[in-house]
Amino acid sequence: MMKPVYISAAAALSPQNSFDADTLLPDVISSDNGKLFVKDTDYSKFINPVAIRRMSRMLKIGISTGIKAVQLSGAEKLDGIITGTGRGSMRDMELFLGDMIRLKEEALNPTYFIQSTYNSVNGWLAMQTKCTGYNQTYVHRGHSFEMSLLDAKMLLHDATEPQTYLVGCLDEMTDDYFIVKSKIGYWKKALPNSLQLLQHSNTQGSIGGEGAAFFTITNTSANSICSVEQLKMLQKPTAAFVQENIDSILSAHGMKLKDIDVVLCGMSGDARFQPLYTPILENTTAHTTVAAFKHLCGEYDTSTGFAMWLATKLFQEQSTPEVLIQKKGINPAINNILIVNHYTLNSASVVLMKKS
Amino acid sequence: MAEKIVVTSLGILSALGNGTDENLQSLLSLKSGVHTPTLLQSIHAHEFLMGEVAYSNDELSAMLGLPTGNNGYTRTSLLALVAMQEVMKGIDKNLLQSEGFAYINANTVGGMCAVEDLYPEFISDKQEGDFLKYVDTLDCAESTQNVVDYFDIHPFTATISTACSSSANAIILGARMIQHGIVKRAICGGCDALSRFTLNGFHSLKNVDKQPCRPFDNTRFGLNLGEAAGYLLLETEKSAKERGAEILAVLSGYGNTNDAYHPTAPSPNGDGAYNTMQLALSNAGLQPQDISYINAHGTATINNDAAEGKAIERLFENNIPLFSSTKPYTGHTLAAAGSIEAIFSIWALQQQKAWPNMNFTTPMEDVSVRPVTTLTDAAINHVISNSFGFGGNNVSLLFSKA
Repeated sequence: MMKPVYISAAAALSPQNSFDADTLLPDVISSDNGKLFVKDTDYSKFINPVAIRRMSRMLKIGISTGIKAVQLSGAEKLDGIITGTGRGSMRDMELFLGDMIRLKEEALNPTYFIQSTYNSVNGWLAMQTKCTGYNQTYVHRGHSFEMSLLDAKMLLHDATEPQTYLVGCLDEMTDDYFIVKSKIGYWKKALPNSLQLLQHSNTQGSIGGEGAAFFTITNTSANSICSVEQLKMLQKPTAAFVQENIDSILSAHGMKLKDIDVVLCGMSGDARFQPLYTPILENTTAHTTVAAFKHLCGEYDTSTGFAMWLATKLFQEQSTPEVLIQKKGINPAINNILIVNHYTLNSASVVLMKKS
Repeated sequence: MAEKIVVTSLGILSALGNGTDENLQSLLSLKSGVHTPTLLQSIHAHEFLMGEVAYSNDELSAMLGLPTGNNGYTRTSLLALVAMQEVMKGIDKNLLQSEGFAYINANTVGGMCAVEDLYPEFISDKQEGDFLKYVDTLDCAESTQNVVDYFDIHPFTATISTACSSSANAIILGARMIQHGIVKRAICGGCDALSRFTLNGFHSLKNVDKQPCRPFDNTRFGLNLGEAAGYLLLETEKSAKERGAEILAVLSGYGNTNDAYHPTAPSPNGDGAYNTMQLALSNAGLQPQDISYINAHGTATINNDAAEGKAIERLFENNIPLFSSTKPYTGHTLAAAGSIEAIFSIWALQQQKAWPNMNFTTPMEDVSVRPVTTLTDAAINHVISNSFGFGGNNVSLLFSKA
């Protein structure tokens, strides 16, 4: 088994107040139209003013989140940057494609084309942090972020000296994307208020979301928030398969389900995937808090990043906000968190994290 | 590297032909696959030369036993599937499955080749129609998933997108996953189909040449685009020997670095390319003088070739190896370039030949190194294959004779 890795800092831009707030999830934000958009911050604090003028929203969101994580970590030098994204900068792709069709392939603006490249945020982060080391971008739908994490785990497992990697994810919701995917059942037909999403788990579809989350990940536990002990990526998951993997992770760490203080579940209100979480709600004892997060960030390829950011906050705050709780447990402290998440295109993941 | 990683099966579909035999024969007979495209639908199609694969989507579908017409498979996926058919011939599927393997794919624009025709329908009020078969094909993992489903295999899957170095990164990831014991084998590579989106993207950057591209030539003006799919089966030397597989080459090192310089242009003195090649050498425990041939990235853009040329000049000093770009043969196949050029590099080792850099006549003014321009017999034990991409992403793969 690979060695654990440690998160020394975390930052997230999400539809909630996750970036600038001093407390965890103050003034919860909701939406009635099936779309949750990132709450903007002052991007000019993180990106140089000349560059920012031509940048699309996804680039600003991704770069600012990455830079903030580096700032919070105090790391002077990064050994590499690894990012996962299901869709990259959707809006740039739409603009270039739309112009190409409308202008009949004449006089096109290359900026949209360049920014639609899936690794463009990685490139910018490397420039801004002057990181000439390892650089990688995973684009594997619901496992894009998980692959980034696995890559960092492999690199740090081999490292003989202290190293720090910036690992993160970004995905964007657009109005067009919402229309396109509505035709194949991604979203609920009757849209509830986002905060009521999980009370509508008997119908197909979810609500759309987006966000970016970045972490500085190291091989030293000193000054870290928590560890990522183990990570499993599952394809075409069934409830039984998810359970098997939860059990095998727990037994590999000599743990029982009651040792898990919080399970962060990716239930999305979609009846097709709700059965993945039913055993968790049923099998957890009075010890464990079962929490959910997609009513706050919406469904997107890399929502595990938001969940992992939440986990770092729960470790730091040592309390679980009511808005997350599906079933309240009695364990007094938060030392062990399990993230169980899925994505619409038939993938799931399980991550075990421990407070440092 | 810890355990010796070897290459035991190849699959390739490019403008040079379908399969390893046709591609190798085209290389040996100095036959370029770059021509005026006949399949790509674009108002610019007649203006540019491209490395277009000779088969239509219906012909590719027929090769795969798939229904023709709007079958839900994008050209990107079809290219990947045909190349994968050849790789899968090199190993017993049941053995592959039972011992655990990864399929690491790479891609730059997913199924854009289909989506760009259907997008007006995608965003219209229409709720029914053939376009629905393609709604989930825009992302880069669509071809990956199609390969897994078509061959009914259950590998660990991943998809990488780092622009023009994508599939070289896929090869690195596969090797590392084997070395970490996560999988026993890995099929790694990439695929990209020509699309209006990509053509217009590079055209808007003024990076496309209307003439045959001229890598490392002073008169170079830009690239010729191409399309291809290429995959390599990697495993440990031990595992190859256990099953009696022929070892085609050893992947003895690799490097991945970033320029941290500019979104689309390399650092002008070639720092990125220099660092990456040096990293691959140190990873393999080799010295610059051990390298006999470099399959250069050599896109024939003004910036790349100057930077890469300078990097070769600086790193190899008095021992400049034979080097060339094979892009005039295939066009720049973007995400597939790293893997098909890895295959060409392996053939350089097997054939003991350096592939000529076509269309070279005039040396660059500010760089002293010259590419090899004729098919040259040489003792070649170690080769470097370079792939550099937007976002400053640089990869060098180092292959050694089996």
